[in-house]
Amino acid sequence: MKEKIDQLFENEAQLPKISSVVSKVMEMVGKPDVVIADLAKEISKDPGLTAAVIKLSNSAYFRPAKPVKTVQESLMTLGIKTVKDIILLNETKGILKKELKGYQVDGESNWMHSLIVAELAKRIAVQKKLKVDKDVVFTAGLLHNIGKVILADFFPTVLMQFRAELQTYEGPYTDLEAKYFGYTHQEAGAKLLAKWNFPEELIEVARYYTEPEKATQFPELVSIIHIANCIVLLGGMGIDIGGLKIPLSSKALQNVGVTEGDLQMYYTLLPEMVKHIEELISV
Amino acid sequence: MLNKDVKIINVGIADIQGGQSPSMIRTTLGSCIGVVFYSPDKKVGAMAHIMLAKDPSGKDSSKNPHKYAETALPELVKRMTELGCNKGEYFARLFGGASMFKGMNSSFLQNIGDLNVSVAKEFLDKEKITLLVEDVGGHEGRTISLYLDDGRILLKKGGFEKYLYKVR
Repeated sequence: MKEKIDQLFENEAQLPKISSVVSKVMEMVGKPDVVIADLAKEISKDPGLTAAVIKLSNSAYFRPAKPVKTVQESLMTLGIKTVKDIILLNETKGILKKELKGYQVDGESNWMHSLIVAELAKRIAVQKKLKVDKDVVFTAGLLHNIGKVILADFFPTVLMQFRAELQTYEGPYTDLEAKYFGYTHQEAGAKLLAKWNFPEELIEVARYYTEPEKATQFPELVSIIHIANCIVLLGGMGIDIGGLKIPLSSKALQNVGVTEGDLQMYYTLLPEMVKHIEELISV
Repeated sequence: MLNKDVKIINVGIADIQGGQSPSMIRTTLGSCIGVVFYSPDKKVGAMAHIMLAKDPSGKDSSKNPHKYAETALPELVKRMTELGCNKGEYFARLFGGASMFKGMNSSFLQNIGDLNVSVAKEFLDKEKITLLVEDVGGHEGRTISLYLDDGRILLKKGGFEKYLYKVR
């Protein structure tokens, strides 16, 4: 099975893709001296993307003070990094809103899970006044489990044995992925993001979000996403074949300074966050 | 098989929904509990997706009654009344309440599921609503679908699925 997945990674035509405009935009916003006019020009090369940026900028979620009519206005009103989030959101929707058959998660649930993890992670970063780049937090949350999209396609052939073994399996869930596919979905996700030339932060989150104690470069960011993911699963959103078998890491709680009271608050906030996110995706 | 005329009613987190045959009501649960009421004679039912047994702050439940068992369950009874069902005409089933991650050192998160289940049972007992079927606890998430034409429930858990037909 590992060979088949390796072949997939070599043959890029079959991998989920992002458009060249989007990767160019990602690269541009990563630089400190980015010029709004240049960025607007780049985004405007893609009419679909342009329309999506303007539409999403006017959603109840972002609540612009006055209606946004151009990409340039969007960049000036909401800021470069928010527009980057909008672009990634629009681009990854088609990839993340996909039924993960073997995992038993439908497309809508996976999409909602990704968005709520992103939203909660952002709230944790703000509430805990962490030094991490808050704009990266949302993106990292959005993409944390993207590797499932890769492995889901390989499930059908092993599903019967996989779930039979799962019934009595006591170890970490992802060890079973490694056993059956040669890759965990974290490894697959990290590989995919590396293929897309995405920043190191996002790659490390995808790689270690279920075992944050192994994160070496961005332990704080990885811990935030880890905690957000656990809470969202607890609420049942995006819960997959593995159930609740990912342990919540006490190291992660320590890294971020999350207390028992915080956990309770985050969990209780979930319904309001769902409402907020629904405003974002209803456009 | 799902007939295409069947309307699917999704129950969100901290939400209550009701309906009548031939609709189907569905939700996905982690530590939350799903309380299902169904009247086999009138073919109507309602489902609550409850997050916590009680409101820890004491301030939120008036604003968001469906989050907490102590306020949501009376609402669920009310919903059945609105659907034209008196007590005694409908029966309860209970799902979810999985316990959180192993080795967790948060007693709050660890115990949400169990507390939810025990508060729901106390309520049903007190209100004399018969509990027919339960599938609670463990580490698995569950998706439950209530088919209002005959009250069967499709339970999906840990990669498996089964129908539960007991309705009275």
